[in-house]
Formats: sequence, C-alpha cells, structure tokens
Amino acid sequence: MPIKKRGTGLTAVADAWQLADIDVSASYPIRPYTAVMAELAKRIANGTMKCEMVHGEGEHAQFSIAHGASMAGARATTGTSGVGVTYAFETYSPIAGSRCPIQALIGDRTLDPPGDFGSEHTDCLTLRDNGWIYGWAQDAQEALDNSLMYFRIGEDPEIMLPQIVAMDGYFVTHIAQDYEMPDQEQVDKFLPKFNPKFRLDVNNPVIMGPQIEPEMGPPLEWDRHVVMNKVKGKIVEVTEEFGKIFGRKYAPFVEEYMTEDADMVYVLQGAHAVTCRSAIKYLREAGYKIGMCRIRWFRPFPDEALAQILPKFKVAGVVDTGTSYGAPCGGGVLSTEVKAAMSEVPGKPIIQSFTSGLGGETITHEEFFAMAEMMKQTLAAGKIIQSGTWVNFNDYHEGASQINAAKTEAAPSK
Amino acid sequence: MAVAELIKSIAQTTDLVDTYVPGHRTCAGCGPALGYRLVAKAAGKNTIFVGPTGCMYVANTSYACGPWAVPWTHAQITNGGAVASGIAEAFRMMIAKGKIKDEFPNIIVMAGDGGCSDIGLQAMSAMFYRGHKVLCVMYDNESYANTGIQVSPSTPYGATTMFTPAGPAIPEAKKHHLKDPMPIFCAGGHPYLKYGATASIGYPIDLMNKVRKALAQDGPAFIHLHVPCPKGWSFPADQTIEIAKLAVETGMWNLYEVENGDWANKKFQALPKKLKPVDEYLQTQKRFSHLQPEHVATIQEFVNARAQKLGMEVPLPPAK
Repeated sequence: MPIKKRGTGLTAVADAWQLADIDVSASYPIRPYTAVMAELAKRIANGTMKCEMVHGEGEHAQFSIAHGASMAGARATTGTSGVGVTYAFETYSPIAGSRCPIQALIGDRTLDPPGDFGSEHTDCLTLRDNGWIYGWAQDAQEALDNSLMYFRIGEDPEIMLPQIVAMDGYFVTHIAQDYEMPDQEQVDKFLPKFNPKFRLDVNNPVIMGPQIEPEMGPPLEWDRHVVMNKVKGKIVEVTEEFGKIFGRKYAPFVEEYMTEDADMVYVLQGAHAVTCRSAIKYLREAGYKIGMCRIRWFRPFPDEALAQILPKFKVAGVVDTGTSYGAPCGGGVLSTEVKAAMSEVPGKPIIQSFTSGLGGETITHEEFFAMAEMMKQTLAAGKIIQSGTWVNFNDYHEGASQINAAKTEAAPSK
Repeated sequence: MAVAELIKSIAQTTDLVDTYVPGHRTCAGCGPALGYRLVAKAAGKNTIFVGPTGCMYVANTSYACGPWAVPWTHAQITNGGAVASGIAEAFRMMIAKGKIKDEFPNIIVMAGDGGCSDIGLQAMSAMFYRGHKVLCVMYDNESYANTGIQVSPSTPYGATTMFTPAGPAIPEAKKHHLKDPMPIFCAGGHPYLKYGATASIGYPIDLMNKVRKALAQDGPAFIHLHVPCPKGWSFPADQTIEIAKLAVETGMWNLYEVENGDWANKKFQALPKKLKPVDEYLQTQKRFSHLQPEHVATIQEFVNARAQKLGMEVPLPPAK
C-alpha cells in the first residue's frame, strides 16, 4: 500500500531512489541539495537501504563516479546545486555521449557571485546543450514521481540517456509537504531492473568512449539528436502508464491551468507555479482573462505541445527564474526557448519576457499581478511595450512607474 | 592480502595470455605501449582498464580497431580516479546484491603523468584515500605526449618540450625540477594505499611482479612506471629499452617499492653498484642536447640529493 508521508522534495527523491534500488550514489555537500544525501546515508546506516555511497571530493568527481558505476552496469545517482552544477561541467557530455542513464538531483541555487543560497534555474539551464533529459518538479510529490519516470525513460534500451530531476531550491527542496510514497510492488511493475546491453564485462569485452576520426563524430552526434527527439514519444507513453499504475495523472508536457477562455497566460516551470495558480484566482475575480501553462520538461523541449496550446492565447508572458546576460529580447533562457519554439507557428501569441524570483525570492502575488497588468497593456496595444522586464527591479529603470502602477491597480482585488 | 603468484623468468611469461593485442597505432619503439602490454599480461583476463585521456588513449582507440581483449573505457584526463572508484563500488555492490555473478575484476587505471600527477591528481588522491580496490599505473613518459609533447610536472629539469623550448633568454629549457608522485601518494598520507612501487619497462619481470603484488592488495595500489618515449625525447626507436635501463643506472630513475605505507623501509631493486654520471643518459636524447655543463651539474645535484633522500646506499658521481 502506498504511504502518506510528510517530507521535502529531497526526502521524496530519496524515497524514489530507495524504491528504485539504486546501487551507487555519489555525494558532495552543497546547499540546498545536500539533504538528499544525508537522507540516503541515514537509510544506509540503518540498514533500510542497500547502496554504496561514495563521497566524492567534488562535483566533478561525483558525476564521474556515477559515470563509472553506470558503465559497470549499476543504477547510479548523484546530485548537486549552484556552482556545483557548473564545477561538474566537463562530465555532462561524456556521460550522455556514452549513453549512461545516471540520474542526478539538482536543487537549484544561484550561481556565484555573490554567495546566495536562493533558487534560480540558471545553474541547471547552463547544461542544456549536453544531451541530458530534464525538467522541473513543482512540489515533493512531483519530484518523487518525476524521479521514477525519468529512470524509466532514461534507461529505456531505445533511449539510454542521463536525467536530471530539477527542483527549485528551498521551495521544493526544503518545504515539508504531504506526499504519497508508492509501494515497492507498484514501482517494480513500473520500473524494470537496469539491464544495459553493454557494460564493462570481462566475458564480453567492449571498448567504451574510443577516440575516433573526425568524420565518425557527426553520426554519433546525430544519434544523440535523434534519440533526444525519440524521448518525447516515451514521455507520452510513460506518463500515461504512470497514471494507470500510481493513480496520479500528469499532462505529459504542459500543464494548463484556467486556460479555457483565457487570452493571456503565464508560461513558467517549477515551484512558482504554486503561487501563480493562487494569483490567477484573484486576477480572475478582478476580470483578467488569464491562465497558466507550466512546462514539465525542458529537455527535450516540448515545442510541438506549445505549438498546439499557445496559439489559443493572445499574449504569453514567459516567467524566467534565471539569467542569461545579453540574451535576445532582454529575456532569460526559458523565454528565448519559447520564442524559438514558436517562431514558425501560425497564429502565435505575442510572447513577452519577464524575469523574476531571482536569488531565491518568492514571486509574490503582487508581482504576478504586475505581470498580468503588463500583459493586458500589451494586449490592448497589440505589441510589447517593454521588451524584457525584470519585475523586481523596475524601480531602477524607466519602466518603474508602469510596474508600480500595475501593482497598486491589481492589488485591491486581493 | 592474498599472495600474488610471482613470475620467475621471461620464459615463463610466454604461457601468459596477451590482452593488449595488435590494433594500436603507437610510434615505433613506444615505451608506453610496451608498458601497457606487460601490465595487461601480468594482470590477466579478469581485468578492466580505465584510460584517462593521454597518448595511450589517442594512439590506441581508433574506432572499431582497439587493441584490447579485455574491457576498456575512456575517462576524462581529470577523472580516472573517480570513474574507477565508481566502477569498483558498482561491482562490489552488484555482486553483494546478487545482481551479477561476476568475480570482482582487476580494475586498472592506466593514467599518464598528466592524468595522474597533474590535472588528474585530485581524483587519484581521492580514490586512494577512500580505499577502492583499484590499481593506478601512472605510465610516465615525462610529457603530455598525446598533444604533441608539452611540458608536464614529470618533465625533467632541462628538457625541451613544445611549451619549454630552449632559447637565449631561457637556455635550460624547462626551469622546474619534477614533481614526484611516490612521496605524495605512498609516504603515509593515504592510509589505505598499501602498496606503491616504481617500475621500468627496462626491467619487465620486476614490473610484472609489481603489478601482481599490487593487484593482490585488498585496497588501492600505485605503480609509477617509467616508459621512454622515442618521439618525445628524440632518440632512435630501437633504443627504448637501453635508455630505460640507463635511466636506472644513472639514478635518473630509481626502482623501489613501499609496502604498508612503510616509507622509511622501502625496498630497492636493480640498485647499481655505483651510479653512472647523468650526462651519459642526457647525451642519448636530443631533448637535452642544448644543455650547458652548469645545467648538467644541476641535474646531477638533483639526482644525488634524491638518491640520498630515498636512502639508496650507493656511491654517487660528483656533482660538478
């Protein structure tokens, strides 16, 4: 029987890893992800979980240890946050390129400087071009569920790619929530044992990661490209099967909230969706026809799903919780991606970039209200009035009065 | 510690199986290739090699034409120690859980001097510290040879490389004496490292037995293997073994082993009756051909000091 539990996103993923019977996990401390490893260590010490925990001397080693373990045929996990994500950078492409389906938990954290424990998606977004499957969980339950789904998809013999279970630091990693821990039988039914076609086996020797001639490289890169696109089909299949076995239904790619009759939508990913939903309730009362589209997968990017969904609206405000200095249209990575995905879609909405929630700041109702007001003005004008808005910082630039006016205008409806 | 079955003569090695086989494209007279072959032969078939980036990766792993009859995997030049740690613990845990029926394999990292004592030092030190059952063989050809002979911490003082050419402003070429990984790893700072040795392809039986002793340990082991490089050092390809031996005879290379971290009581092998002057060795290689007498004297002083520091009781040539 599934158990009702109260815990954080990190304990939820530890539950998933225990149920998945992982063999090796590689640790190195950095906040806010650390507690998942502390949780594993406790379970291993108590004897409730049988897993070799290797304490790496840094994130570069953590990912390398998991890589080695995976090549040997083990189900291996690791994880990190912030500058730890970037310190390990050399290892991402080799892990994906040698098709080792290790799983990493990334609890988002702002990159340095300055030292800031707060969440931003920038750390995890920096590795978007390395062939890892990933997306953001909005809460502990989804973190657990994503972990199981990611194993299943990443270890599929047709896929064999590493995955990142990403979650906002603090909001998901540290806030205790109620969630349901599935039972072992359900998981065994859903997730087959990891049984790679090739591993380091002295009875069947293989060479892994050979040096090749330049002309042999592009076909291997093409393989990675093709397989990443194949992941989309698996996501649909696996999400549906997950729902049948565990009783929790997820939209495969994009979760829509109050989108019927909406002419404006927030487009975002991760934990701020929780605040966004409640802000929408107030905005609806105040007469704003607004909804939300929450992106569940960042790689592969759900462009087909967005192409089907977004033309229903007139304005889409993409909320970036990360930075990409000098990016087009003053936006961040997510808005750039959404714009690219929509570039050739007929009837696409006006896509507006907002940056908010940096440094682990909550995106408040007032900020969502302000974004709604700006989208409304865009809708009225039929064009973007200000390209790339840093919602919290408009006090310091020319859009200040506009945002402040919007905040006060929308606020009374609360 | 299990007792290793030691080899007594070259004749006995003909019965052993080669697992480093034709299919590579190393240079004629390649010291590292011979070293690889001897290590692989001593280890046998139940072996997995981890090859951090280095010349033995670049020259050996032409796609679909690799020279190994045992599993081999690439690691980045930075992370041979970490990848090997993961492999070792995966086998341990999968065997313990009954997920596989394999016998625990010999896991050998064949790291170059860069991949072990320079950019790869941190991962290797961490692997030794954590006590994984892995052998690291640092095959030392005294340069970054995979990229065309650039300076490494193993490059001796006075050697030319592409990054340390000799010129009027820097007549001695490389200005620094070499970094020695043996005291770093084996002098007691890594408590689980029970066996450390230096070896040379000029002394193949000694090398193979050191590999076997290393693999018989319950934890990590380290072998620092001297492998002359005809291309990098500029000497004729048929001189590799002679130069390897001359290195030992002149004290440019010392053969010894350290058991149970007992650095004070290292055992020396092939100890010459007296050391020949280093000049005899330097003159065999074009990488030293620019050296002036004062530079040679600097090298002689370094070699003499090292011999004394190690406790080699052998008459030393005068440092002029």
